[in-house]
Amino acid sequence: MLQCIFLLSDSGEVMLEKQLTGHRVDRSICAWFWDQSISQDDSFKSLPVIASPTHYIFQIVRDGITFLACSQVEMPPLMAIEFLCRVADVLSDYLGGLNEDLVKDNFIIVYELLDEMIDNGFPLTTEPSILREMIAPPNLVSKMLSVVTGNASNVSDTLPSGAGSCVPWRPTDPKYSSNEVYVDLVEEMDAIVNRDGELVKCEIYGEVQMNSQLSGFPDLTLSFANPSILEDMRFHPCVRFRPWESHQVLSFVPPDGEFNLMSYRVKKLKNTPVYVKPQITSDSGTCRISVLVGVRSDPGKTIESITLSFQLPHCVSSADLSSNHGTVTILSNKTCTWTIGRIPKDKTPSLSGTLALETGLERLHVFPTFKLGFKIMGIALSGLRIEKLDLQSIPPRLYKGFRAQTRAGEFDVRL
Amino acid sequence: MAPPAASQRYPSPSQPSGKSEVSDLKSQLRQLAGSRAPGVDDSKRELYKKVISYMTIGIDVSSVFGEMVMCSATSDIVLKKMCYLYVGNYAKGNPDLSLLTINFLQRDCKDEDPMIRGLALRSLCSLRVPNLVEYLVGPLESGLKDNNSYVRTIAVTGVLKLYHISPSPCIDADFPATLKSLMLHDSDAQVVSNCLSALQEIWSLEANHSEEACREKESLLSKPVIYYFLNRIKEFNEWAQCLILELAVKYVPSDSNDIFDIMNLLEDRLQHANGAVVLATVKVFLQLTLSMTDVHQQVYERIKSPLLTLVSSGSPEQSYAILSHLHLLVVRAPFIFASDYKHFYCQYNEPSYVKKLKLEMLTAVANESNTYEIVTELCEYAANVDIAIARESIRAVGKIALQQYDVNAIVDRLLQFLEMEKDYVTAETLVLVKDLLRKYPQWSHDCISVVGGISSKNIQEPKAKAALIWMLGEYAQDMSDAPYVLENLIENWEEEHSAEVRLHLLTAAMKCFFKRPPETQKALGTALAAGIADFHQDVHDRALFYYRVLQYDVHVAERVVSPPKQAVSVFADTQSSEIKDRIFDEFNSLSVIYQKPSYMFTDKEHRGPFEFSDELGNISITPEASSDIVPAQQYEANDKDLLLGIDQKDDNKGLSNNNGSAYTAPSFESSSNITSQLQELAISGPATSAITPQSSFGFDDLLGLGLSAAPAPTPSPPLLKLNPRAALDPGAFQQKWRQLPISLTQECSLNPQGIAALTVPQSLIRHMQSHSIHCIASGGQSPNFKFFFFAQKEPEPLNYLTECVINSSSAKAQIKVKADEQSTSQAFATVFETALSKYGMP
Repeated sequence: MLQCIFLLSDSGEVMLEKQLTGHRVDRSICAWFWDQSISQDDSFKSLPVIASPTHYIFQIVRDGITFLACSQVEMPPLMAIEFLCRVADVLSDYLGGLNEDLVKDNFIIVYELLDEMIDNGFPLTTEPSILREMIAPPNLVSKMLSVVTGNASNVSDTLPSGAGSCVPWRPTDPKYSSNEVYVDLVEEMDAIVNRDGELVKCEIYGEVQMNSQLSGFPDLTLSFANPSILEDMRFHPCVRFRPWESHQVLSFVPPDGEFNLMSYRVKKLKNTPVYVKPQITSDSGTCRISVLVGVRSDPGKTIESITLSFQLPHCVSSADLSSNHGTVTILSNKTCTWTIGRIPKDKTPSLSGTLALETGLERLHVFPTFKLGFKIMGIALSGLRIEKLDLQSIPPRLYKGFRAQTRAGEFDVRL
Repeated sequence: MAPPAASQRYPSPSQPSGKSEVSDLKSQLRQLAGSRAPGVDDSKRELYKKVISYMTIGIDVSSVFGEMVMCSATSDIVLKKMCYLYVGNYAKGNPDLSLLTINFLQRDCKDEDPMIRGLALRSLCSLRVPNLVEYLVGPLESGLKDNNSYVRTIAVTGVLKLYHISPSPCIDADFPATLKSLMLHDSDAQVVSNCLSALQEIWSLEANHSEEACREKESLLSKPVIYYFLNRIKEFNEWAQCLILELAVKYVPSDSNDIFDIMNLLEDRLQHANGAVVLATVKVFLQLTLSMTDVHQQVYERIKSPLLTLVSSGSPEQSYAILSHLHLLVVRAPFIFASDYKHFYCQYNEPSYVKKLKLEMLTAVANESNTYEIVTELCEYAANVDIAIARESIRAVGKIALQQYDVNAIVDRLLQFLEMEKDYVTAETLVLVKDLLRKYPQWSHDCISVVGGISSKNIQEPKAKAALIWMLGEYAQDMSDAPYVLENLIENWEEEHSAEVRLHLLTAAMKCFFKRPPETQKALGTALAAGIADFHQDVHDRALFYYRVLQYDVHVAERVVSPPKQAVSVFADTQSSEIKDRIFDEFNSLSVIYQKPSYMFTDKEHRGPFEFSDELGNISITPEASSDIVPAQQYEANDKDLLLGIDQKDDNKGLSNNNGSAYTAPSFESSSNITSQLQELAISGPATSAITPQSSFGFDDLLGLGLSAAPAPTPSPPLLKLNPRAALDPGAFQQKWRQLPISLTQECSLNPQGIAALTVPQSLIRHMQSHSIHCIASGGQSPNFKFFFFAQKEPEPLNYLTECVINSSSAKAQIKVKADEQSTSQAFATVFETALSKYGMP
């Protein structure tokens, strides 16, 4: 039972307030919240659930905007947090991003959306495809239309029929002249390499993202060549559980447009495509640092957009770094980023230089953690392969597309 | 991010610029009101937008209410929506003007477009002006019968809103019955789920004074209804699924087949993309299998993977909520998660609140097989840039060391920390080494040699300093320069700001003196002199005490200050298992996040969902909050007597009668309210019990004080020991009361003073509580009073439930006892009667 939702800008200004029940939550609670969050240290600032003297406050921060929800009764905290996340997703979907100006320019739409997403403190529908049916997004097309037709209403004339259909995620009977369906495997590799260069943890978090533009009421079946490697799965509500349980096939009636069909985890990978070998020696006030980056096991596709970033310790007063490939930038907050791009064939990229420590310090005691970024198109590093995608009744002019990509998620190399 | 000026954030309504603009708007709107010129809608839209944007910023634009309503005749749906929004926001403050809006809203409720019908109905119900409720019933009735499900959905929620504004018209129109039939027969899942949520709320509030509502509420938990929902759970949207799962948690399955049926129906919910659904399902699984140990174990195995996936897939905020729940499970079943410890390794970019929880997890899952890896990992965090996390990880290493048998490697690691020469690392480590030595004195040799090398000048934090001083005193014979280090510290007595450190200095000087008298004598003298002159009472007293003991007999002093010690085998756990169990019962609630059962953090501000006022610092109490609600001052006046508030409220409503069901404790929304209040009383238990005769005797004797005010020798101590902090939630009470047979009925009499004191029934509740018998509900008016009490046996948590009807004119009390364990019910009745007979005695 949420009582109120506030949207705060990154300076603590209340941009929007939506009261949900008869018991108004005064917006001065935001002042309390903001005072708290600037007076407390960072750990409080981002704590998602806090208790104010009068309310429990749930908060999430997205792109500088704080979404606050207040409640006075015991309720599942994850429900409130999940809901706020959905609100943020839907808003950024509608407004084409999230920032203060976008919210302020489109506050009417935000009100309209919240109105349909939650009533009397209980979430109703958060399914984007259904919301889009009720409230047209403020895109260029609708603006154009409004100029041409003189009808500036951003409410589509259709009834919110999806809300009542027995397949709640699918609007009634969309029509496309060409039927297209795309399946993307998008994987993120999370890894920790410890001080001794050992791979402590390496796992893949992956999503099967789909974009379905199919007419009518399509029934799809997607199967994998090697489903057994999947550790744990989460499904979009449209996925039928039984076929997966018995044959490991995904059988579903897809929502319209883009959606996340399933997410999964693959644990205990033995290898990373890229290695990072950092070294630091420090003596009498200066440190020598050198980092090598190279291909460890060739995935068979080009590794792109390799970056390595790290935070220089506080006690470093100045740094002089150079590399034999790519560019090195050091920001004023002592974040150092080495943009490598692709690894050249003829040499191993290396970064080297010296760090000057603050006076009085002999040796470096705090060591940076290197964060590696990379992207590989055309391959899912977990090894998961899509076998086929079948449609029960094949519509005319059907196009099916498959893609895969892997990027580094949280890839930490410690020193 | 600098804090913005207050005026910028909250422009006051009287802000001059805002005011002139508002009056500008007012006149512009007035001009447009009657106009039918083409394009007038566009200008209206601009103006409306301005009004709403002022409202959004926080400028008071209620003064244009009349003009807004006048302009509301339009066919443009966005204009309508803006108007609804505005009206909904200000209607409560302008009840007279709101009447103007009723007309156009009612007309819109009959519009051809179902969307407009729905929106109008929603706005109509959101006006929340009590004297307009008569206009709601008609539109709601037709809304519930509307052929469009969107309108029905809104109408159902509208009924709930109506109930909250004013219950009687809602009940008179027989809306609950309509909702019930909709719930069971409507084809639209959203309508059904809204019915469920509305009915749950209405019936549990009605259940306080209507037996029928109570029965209806029960019927929601009956097998057919539960299966009706569970069988079609997939048709509902994710949020409605959460609602249904919460309902299912309360269902009491008839047998084990029932349990397995439900689990089979719900198993795929664990794979749902929405974390809230997964967690709600986990709760159902855990609660269902509580009594089946091995199945319960399998449930843990089954839910492990989904939960771990949720942790790694969601946003940090989601991870945090899930990790909090995982933490609870990990603490209950560490061995199941022991092999998954790598999931709890911290990534660099995670926010510190997530890291902190992960460190706690790592501590909890550490066992013989994985300790080495975990400690290695934790040691890497100690060199982390984030100082708070570095500290936490050192503490975690220490905690693991204290819970392990093989600490060999860990001690080495800890000692390596000391060599890192970072202030905070050294400080944290010293505290840990001290605790470690208390548990494993055999390590003293290795530790002391390293600790001896630390210069006390580099240590500033009081806790660390105290730890070092403790070690100096305890191991004075092993550290060659201990007396001199102490002497140094004592010489700087004046500069030592922490009383804790000074206390430790005194004790350490004493211990050192017993071991190496010649070297320490001078320092001890200085310390005692400085201590006696100290302005801090404890330091002063301790110094004086040491001085006198030394004067009396040095050997006695040694026995007192520095006796041979036994190694501490187990450090006291901060949380009792009872509390942990309670948190577990409240799985998927805020309790888990705060790691406290709800009664510990829901304090007196928390007055349940529908009876609070919004005072908060500088907020003024809104007029409606204080008018239709029990005045807040009543609560303020009497912190401890929260039950008073409830009873009086009941009286105010004129609802109290002696009908048994009227006293059944409400659950659902209001249960948290009562529980919190009840618990507050329960918490105050120990404090109160300290002044009860039985428990205070020993203490008084020790001090050798006479008990002037105490009653004549208390009767022999009760055979039954009751838990002064017993806790039972009203729902559980109700359930037990229904299930258990009456094991005893008894009549006893009250003394006249008791009857006199009963004019304030709360005094009896307090009195009984001081005897560890807690009231869960009470009511009635002179001469008949009725109380429901419960008590819990100690050490085994067996409950005694008692209904006590007191007739003040005959000075008799009728008690009915129901007990988990029949055999002791007589003993409990005796305790109860004794306690009751003492009521009113000075």
